[in-house]
Amino acid sequence: MKPDQRSTRVRAIIVDDEALARSIVREHLTTHPEVEIIAECGNGFEAVKAITELKPNLLFLDIQMPKLSGFEVLELVEGDRAVIFVTAYDQYALKAFEVHAVDYLLKPFTQERFEDALRLAKERIPGGKPIPLRSVVEAARARELPLERLLVRDGSKVHVVPVEKVDYVEAQDDYVAIKTEGRTHLKQQRLSELESALDAKRFVRIHRSYILNVDRLARIELYAKDSRVAILKDGTKLQVSRSGYEKLKGLL
Amino acid sequence: MHPFFVRRERLVIYLAAWLIIGLLLTALVALPGEVDWLLALVFALPLSLFYAFVCLSAWYLCRAFPFQKTDIQKLLLLYAIAASISSSIWILLAQGWTLLLSQLAIFETARARSVGEARLLFGIGVILYFLSVAVHYLITTFEASREAERRSLELKLHAQEAELKALRAQIDPHFLFNSLNSISALTLQNPEAARRMTLLLSDFLRKSLRFGAREQITLQEELSLIQHFFEIEQVRFGQRLQIRQLVDVPSANCLVPPLLLQPLVENAISHGIAHLIEGGTIFLSAGNRGSRLNIHIENPIDPDRPKSRGNGLGLDNSRKRLRTLYGSEARLETTLTESSFELDLSLPASVKTE
Repeated sequence: MKPDQRSTRVRAIIVDDEALARSIVREHLTTHPEVEIIAECGNGFEAVKAITELKPNLLFLDIQMPKLSGFEVLELVEGDRAVIFVTAYDQYALKAFEVHAVDYLLKPFTQERFEDALRLAKERIPGGKPIPLRSVVEAARARELPLERLLVRDGSKVHVVPVEKVDYVEAQDDYVAIKTEGRTHLKQQRLSELESALDAKRFVRIHRSYILNVDRLARIELYAKDSRVAILKDGTKLQVSRSGYEKLKGLL
Repeated sequence: MHPFFVRRERLVIYLAAWLIIGLLLTALVALPGEVDWLLALVFALPLSLFYAFVCLSAWYLCRAFPFQKTDIQKLLLLYAIAASISSSIWILLAQGWTLLLSQLAIFETARARSVGEARLLFGIGVILYFLSVAVHYLITTFEASREAERRSLELKLHAQEAELKALRAQIDPHFLFNSLNSISALTLQNPEAARRMTLLLSDFLRKSLRFGAREQITLQEELSLIQHFFEIEQVRFGQRLQIRQLVDVPSANCLVPPLLLQPLVENAISHGIAHLIEGGTIFLSAGNRGSRLNIHIENPIDPDRPKSRGNGLGLDNSRKRLRTLYGSEARLETTLTESSFELDLSLPASVKTE
């Protein structure tokens, strides 16, 4: 086997909650022996698990699915892979695709259209052209802001944390530590990014390292000159910067 | 044209009012006792009717200077001038009339007096003119508010009609394209099933169009549409989607607006069942209690789902539609628990009267 042939070996996962919709992708792939279907998933949780464990280089991804949308799945998994979005109708997502020139399949699709999409995707398989996936996901998810739930992956398992259960979030290097109900979930994200995705009326950046759920605040104490601490209802103490204090004052 | 000439009954009322004024004027002339009542009447009545027409001119001024949009001082000045001119014309005529009557030698004694009374008559003329202005303003305001009311009612009717049409035409594109995709998948794998799905879909669309064109259909008919919808969705969702129906016979004959329940059931699937990995069962029951038709729809939901993109918009439309059709006679209430969504609908029960 020549090296370039090995590099175009495609390992694909089909993600769709409808068995028939998966089967039609499978059917179209029968004429492509170079594409191996390594898994089929019927919901977002399964998809995150399969992608994390099996590391495919191509995804056929439905957008509307139980538990997690296709975009949420992409937000949760690491690494690089080609993605062919497959959707029946989703005005919002389609707009995001068109703006970012990302290819997608509209159900039902023709064999020709499928072939085109597959060819394009194969060119983009890691080592090929990069795809602006991150910006597409961001654009497509913009309508979900402010976030109502935070998604955290722990290994191949996904935790869904409703924002009202979040006590506070702490920056830790490249991660954010989400404190909720006595537990800590780590997520690879910048604190400023999370801050802008949360409802500014309920979540306040009180310090370089903290976002606080205002509902949890018991009182603010002066700690030294120009330095304050926020005391939470459960007794936790968090440092408050001067600008953080101004923001809190404005809100309370 | 002057509103009094457009509607004859108004003119009659107006002239009747002036007749009374004429009688009062008669009394004014006759009461000092120098003129007998009949002569006073002959003098005052034509004069009063003449002034009635003079005062109609106030309408043109009222129209040219709307009350709300014109400075009050300007208005007072304007009408003071108009009233003086009108009243002057009136007393001139009164004097001419007196002259004529005295020439006819039936009004002799009044002649000298009428000159002395000119000032009093002028005052009365001015006051009457102002009264006429007030009446005209009342009429224009009244007509404007009636017109505005009529226009807003018309607008509302148009809006409601348009909305109903739009609602009837509403078929979720997501449902349609996914169904077509199922057919596309089945064509090779199971041609028999593909044909069945095609027929189900065309039946559903045909029924939607047919029912949607009617004002009301029986609950039975709506349920048959829902049955079609379910069979199509079951091809897509497989075992994940189940339904249980409990509808008693009398309520099945009740009349409902077409395509009222179908979007609600569609919501139950797209916001409920579709988010559940294992799927679930939708319960639909209908009962007839007294003069009310009660319908209950219940579906399981995923407690982890994003909350705001729930059943909102579809329900808003249903509520609006119910309000349009039944006013306060219909109720749509929802109950959201951690793991279920329940919907209670109550309508006045009516049956076909043929």
